[in-house]
Amino acid sequence: MKPRSIVLSTRGMSLLKKRGWQVALTTVMLAGLVFTAVAGWIGTPIGSRNFAIAFVWIGWFAALIIFLIPFIGRGWCSICPIPTVGDWVQRGNVLNPQGSRPRGLGLRVPAIFRNMWTQNAAFALLALFSAAILTSPRVTSVTLASMVFLAIGLSLVFERRAFCRYVCPMGGFVGLYSQVAPIELRVTSLERCAACQTKACYNGSANGYGCPWGVFPASLTRNNFCGLCLECLRTCPNKNITLRTRPFAADLAMPSTRPDEAFKSLIMLGSAMVYAAVLLGPWSAFKNAAFSIGSLAWITYAGVFLMLVLGLLPGSLWLVGRLSQRFTPGVEGTRTNPSARAQSPFAVFATPLVPLGLAFWVAFSLTFFLTNGSYVLSSISDPLGLGWNLIGTAGVTWQPMLAGAIAPLQTAILVGGFIWAARVARRVTTQVRLPSTPLIGFLFLPTVAMLWLLI
Amino acid sequence: MRLREHAARLAILVVVAAAGLIPLAAWLRTPLVHARMAESGGWGPDVLHARAGKPLLVRLTSDDVVHGFAVGLSDAPAVDVLPGKVSQTWLEFDQPGTYTFYCTRWCGPNHWRMRGTIEVEGVKTEGTATVSPPLFQVLGIDLDQPHPAATTPAVVPDPQRGAQVAAEVAPPPTLSLDAYRSHSPADVWRTWRADASLSGLTDAALWDLVAYTYNSQLASADRDDAARLFAANCAACHGERGDGQGVFAEALVQSEPDSGADSSMGHSADATRPADFTDSEAMLGASPALLHGKILRGGMGSGMPMWGAILTDAQIWKLVNLLYTFQFDGESGP
Amino acid sequence: MLTDRRPRLAQLAGWALIAVAAAAIAFIPLPGVNTTPRHVTIRVEAAKFAFAPSELSVNSGDTVTLELVSTDVVHGLYVDQYDLGVEADPGQTSRLTFVADKPGSFRIRCNVACGQYHPFMIGRLTVGTPIAFWRAAGLALLAMAAIILGAVRPAREAPAT
Repeated sequence: MKPRSIVLSTRGMSLLKKRGWQVALTTVMLAGLVFTAVAGWIGTPIGSRNFAIAFVWIGWFAALIIFLIPFIGRGWCSICPIPTVGDWVQRGNVLNPQGSRPRGLGLRVPAIFRNMWTQNAAFALLALFSAAILTSPRVTSVTLASMVFLAIGLSLVFERRAFCRYVCPMGGFVGLYSQVAPIELRVTSLERCAACQTKACYNGSANGYGCPWGVFPASLTRNNFCGLCLECLRTCPNKNITLRTRPFAADLAMPSTRPDEAFKSLIMLGSAMVYAAVLLGPWSAFKNAAFSIGSLAWITYAGVFLMLVLGLLPGSLWLVGRLSQRFTPGVEGTRTNPSARAQSPFAVFATPLVPLGLAFWVAFSLTFFLTNGSYVLSSISDPLGLGWNLIGTAGVTWQPMLAGAIAPLQTAILVGGFIWAARVARRVTTQVRLPSTPLIGFLFLPTVAMLWLLI
Repeated sequence: MRLREHAARLAILVVVAAAGLIPLAAWLRTPLVHARMAESGGWGPDVLHARAGKPLLVRLTSDDVVHGFAVGLSDAPAVDVLPGKVSQTWLEFDQPGTYTFYCTRWCGPNHWRMRGTIEVEGVKTEGTATVSPPLFQVLGIDLDQPHPAATTPAVVPDPQRGAQVAAEVAPPPTLSLDAYRSHSPADVWRTWRADASLSGLTDAALWDLVAYTYNSQLASADRDDAARLFAANCAACHGERGDGQGVFAEALVQSEPDSGADSSMGHSADATRPADFTDSEAMLGASPALLHGKILRGGMGSGMPMWGAILTDAQIWKLVNLLYTFQFDGESGP
Repeated sequence: MLTDRRPRLAQLAGWALIAVAAAAIAFIPLPGVNTTPRHVTIRVEAAKFAFAPSELSVNSGDTVTLELVSTDVVHGLYVDQYDLGVEADPGQTSRLTFVADKPGSFRIRCNVACGQYHPFMIGRLTVGTPIAFWRAAGLALLAMAAIILGAVRPAREAPAT
């Protein structure tokens, strides 16, 4: 089924191919990151009055999860400043390839790391420290700076964007949820790719660099690992690559069978619930455990969190998969279904967690943003808490927005997300010839839990 | 083209460097006085410098919780110092000397330790005022000795009954300000008991009269001020009803583990508990001079702060008058 | 998608039933549990970074007085959606009195910066029953039933991808 798509015009494509705007935008983002890191370090330690917290975790993160990812997928990655300096150092240039040798060792990332497990671990680790990261400007500053330096270091050792593809904790979920977005970068004709001698999209050429994400564009069937950096648009000699629209979540029609992705969606689902319980809930024992980083209580909290996202949730999903297999009527009415028993449906069954998890995160972030969004305004006027008033909003007092609309909005998002996930569940279970009811039931429980936590 | 590449690199360098250096420069050029809880270092800086006769602008911010700023022994209004916000105040000193500034919003059990000094230089234009010793020193009162009343009433005296007694007794006994300040209620009771003109009153009635006298020393005009001072400075430890059950009372008891029963001062472990002003036995045996001295000097092996640099004499006497009212049930004062 | 073989009318009727049920769950006012409105006073102690008690419960219609007692630094108490708040210094109890005329579950928060984890200093006030949650859960249940029942209808095949 060919997606109804709006393909960019030739003029549009040629505009995208120009490098200048992308370098300019990325530089602006880099300047923003440097400003944030400096403001976080020397500015007021009060998170709500420091640009590093208010703008990054209240403003930018809400924009990312509520708008950027659902509508332009990995669009943020195309202008993200974190790998930028590493790229420039690795390439030896900020613009087109100049023919100079790339700096650094250019090693291939070892096979054992060429998966999402490192990103899963990085995200889970960050989640354990999230109470401090989300509230302390200095911790945010150090976190951002560390990511930049790590990216630079990895760029000097490995080829391409090793940090983005295999390490970045944000990239894990940005990629996962980008499957929902209505835009995609794909090749137009596989025959032309087959006939191409240079494969400049992957190997680079005088017009641009080989895919920094280590993706061979002809093999792109999902958005997960394409960072929309548009290098392949510039290098393809056959005008065979295009950026186009498509229906939402078209990628979920071909569910992934990768366990690392399945675990990623389980980690995201679980951490959304834990955040809602600990950060927005009334249980002071949990909060104190999460805040007192390094204490015995925190170690217990960390243990419980990891058991939930790496044990309980995956275990339950696996169990649901097995139970579905056991209770599937066969073609002649027997209780066995040999073809389904051959492989565990675990990864496939994790597919509905993509829309469900996204809905959880959108609902959680929306509450956070509507409650604390007023801090974003004041932090623009007085980013360091020095008493400035750049755009006149420094005196804006804390005031929750749309308080009465939050419950209906969250209901719509969570129930809507559940409905969407249940429909995806029906489709994927049909594809593997298993009943959908157990999986839909499995999706229902966290949905109700999240409703109870948030509403 | 190499030129485009170099131009791009330069532009990037300039933009990114500006993004880092501009906030840094602005920060370096913005001197602020930072307020932090005493446990985290208190005021930073904690010594300010000024010149007599020249106004000083003080810009303040808090790095943790709500604080306040005021200069001791001054009637300039306090300024709130709020987390992440900058507030400011102008100070002007007529005479050189050392002044104390302090935190005015409770920020933990060590709130009262959040103090700093302002060194004011310049030429003295007033003659040095004679400083008289505080009353407790003049009277030779030992502030650190327990002061139970030598004689105590059988029941808690009632100032309202005492008011009636005062109305009926003719002529009513007088107590000069000096006499009031130098004597405890128990002393006054003994003096009046020996007075022939009052021999018609029962012991209890006489106690009521004494209670009425001490309860009404707080002039109605001063009541609000005294209540405000007590609420802002004392209630956190001594309790809103003066019963020693303030929110920090337990923390104070636990923080002084050495005050065992065998301490040289003869104090029991309870010595570190904030004083209970509803305890008649102790209060009736305390003279206003004693209480004034305790507030002025603090110490006593407990967490009682020294208020001499902060509260004026007039403010301390108002508080003292208020303290006697806590032990009596019902309305205080006439 | 292959069309269902059931008559179109039955299919429309099914959708209409779901829509009516959803509207009922979302909007029908529940019969109020008629309790006599009381005057309730609740003493709430505030320390970094929690309220004690952190979960409060009153009946709809009660006149509620919340006594805020700060035990370490200046804290505030703000009730979501009622948009009412009060702050208290240690040693100076503050009182917030209001009529709990909106039923449901509301977060109470500290609205005075009181340290690093101040944004998460949150408790819960439940007035009557947490009706919004029950409605949402009801809608989710309805959705699950509709989808599962839709799934077990015979002669439905998935589209070829």
